[in-house]
Amino acid sequence: MSIMEIIGGILIITGSIFLFLGSLGILRMPDIYNRIQAGTKATTLGAMSLILGVGFLEPSWLLKILIIIIFIAYSNPLSSHALARAMYKRKWYPLIKGDPEKMDAYREVNTNKEKEEVKS
Amino acid sequence: MKKLIVILLLAVLAWDLGVIFLGLNFGNEHFTEGVKDQYLEKTVTELNVANTVTSIVVNFRGFDTLGEVTVLFLAATALGGILYKKRHHVGERSVLFPSSSLVMSGSKLLFPAIILLGVYVFVHGHLSPGGGFQGGTIIATGFLLMLLAYDNYSVSHNLLSIVESLAGIFFVVIGLLGFMNHGTFLENFLPTGTLNSLFSGGVIPIVYILIGFKVAAELTGVIYTVLHEKD
Repeated sequence: MSIMEIIGGILIITGSIFLFLGSLGILRMPDIYNRIQAGTKATTLGAMSLILGVGFLEPSWLLKILIIIIFIAYSNPLSSHALARAMYKRKWYPLIKGDPEKMDAYREVNTNKEKEEVKS
Repeated sequence: MKKLIVILLLAVLAWDLGVIFLGLNFGNEHFTEGVKDQYLEKTVTELNVANTVTSIVVNFRGFDTLGEVTVLFLAATALGGILYKKRHHVGERSVLFPSSSLVMSGSKLLFPAIILLGVYVFVHGHLSPGGGFQGGTIIATGFLLMLLAYDNYSVSHNLLSIVESLAGIFFVVIGLLGFMNHGTFLENFLPTGTLNSLFSGGVIPIVYILIGFKVAAELTGVIYTVLHEKD
């Protein structure tokens, strides 16, 4: 067992743990923004390290795998940004439930802007 | 008189189908053995194609594929015809809110990559899984991304129909050339090349590239028509 195989195996195991935690987060998190958080961050890192592990096991694929990693790092945050923005625009606000420690600063800024626009 | 002709035609059709289907022995050994072995053998020896599915879809049963492409074309045309009547303002789209600048610039960068992937899939259709239909669909998703990101992005309908018709015409022309050279529709008439290289399989890559263009144009037209529907 060479050093490359050990590194590859460790990366694949790390990636699958992160993917598992991401899917658990999608199931268990309370509202849509927390779910997007779990689904994006955990699966981006998980998929990237999983594929990189495969690249260490098969060094001839490494260039292709780097391209795939760039693609994931580029498209995954972009798509979840679009999802979260669309959900917010459709007025699915974050779960706050009258907790004084939590606040939705974006909404306050937006409502203030709207008030100013109405005044002017 | 009209009804009589219709009934007569239906009777002829029923008689033909009856003759065909009553003559078949369903469930006999004839159906479980024979054809598949010939396909598997001829794919490697005569056509030099690595992908058996491709050789069956495009070469041995290429006429069926022509029918499938025609069905897709008819569906796209009918959809356009139905939605066109309901639509009053051509080129207007109801958008709730414009997409953010991140999505806009991001999809501008992603679009060439998606097109490249689609082209790769249908050019390598005879070597790897996938082919004309899949590659064309991937290209259409690229156009869908652009249409979703930019609410004023427009695709020229004339260009789409020209690409689609040219691809269809060349498909039939290649089929007829095979007919002229070897006596069967879509028979291979080009040198087959070496197994597992990009230039192998005779007419199969050419036909798959044509199918890719045709499917991409049709599905892009469908997406464009549905997005611009206005009621």
